[in-house]
Amino acid sequence: MPQLNPNPWLFIMIISWLTFSMIIQPKVLTFVSTNPPSSKTHTTPSTTPWTWPWT
Amino acid sequence: MNLSFFDQFSSPSLLGIPLILISMTFPALLLPSMDNRWITNRLSTLQLWFINLVTKQLMSPLYKKGHKWALIQTSLMFFLLLINLLGLLPYTFTPTTQLSINLALAFPLWLATLLTGLRNQPSASLWHLLPEGTPTPRIPALILIETTSLLIRPQALRVRLSANLTAGHLLIQLISTATMPLSTTMPAVSLLSLLLLFLLTILQEAEAIIQAYVFVLLLSLYLQENI
Repeated sequence: MPQLNPNPWLFIMIISWLTFSMIIQPKVLTFVSTNPPSSKTHTTPSTTPWTWPWT
Repeated sequence: MNLSFFDQFSSPSLLGIPLILISMTFPALLLPSMDNRWITNRLSTLQLWFINLVTKQLMSPLYKKGHKWALIQTSLMFFLLLINLLGLLPYTFTPTTQLSINLALAFPLWLATLLTGLRNQPSASLWHLLPEGTPTPRIPALILIETTSLLIRPQALRVRLSANLTAGHLLIQLISTATMPLSTTMPAVSLLSLLLLFLLTILQEAEAIIQAYVFVLLLSLYLQENI
């Protein structure tokens, strides 16, 4: 099985961590969402209903 | 030299340059950089939605202390998902079939969860080695069994991912090798090509393997850190 060939193992391990931490993680970090997930508020918001203006 | 069926998994190199570098950095090209606009294009919006979905799914069972793992788990999920999906295309090499990559990813992360648990709450994480309500004579055997199951987790994670993908790719290759010469006889080829298509759709459970991988990682973190 060629996967058991230990020759490129160290290189592959280092390259995988380098791409994972240097390339993928900064790309995912730059994704700023407009509504970031946050914990629930303790108070329930009270909203008064309004009627849609049908003009 | 004659190619065997396993030669698709040997780490490719061209003129001495290992091409696994390209096959691992290529998925990053498929993630568009985030723009500073309020409403971005469709791909960025979909990607953002997916990131939020994955982060919420992974982080909601955890307390706030576990939320510092959000970045590493989400990016790990993306990394593995893209690599596995790209490997389903013809003539592409899947880096995650290599045992080395899976070991490099599984072992440090598992060790991190273990050491986090041992450092923050050492007695509680050691209590996990003994299930509640065991009769006294069985305690030594159970502790040995639980320790073994704990220590074998990174190997299980690693072998699960690589074995599933390797088996899937091999099956596709075998069945397509059987389909082509049989194209002269009609009924067999229709059955075989249906089987091949069915297998390809099953092989899209490769992305389910990612889910399995990250969720198992999450499970170990969850158990160690919070209970």
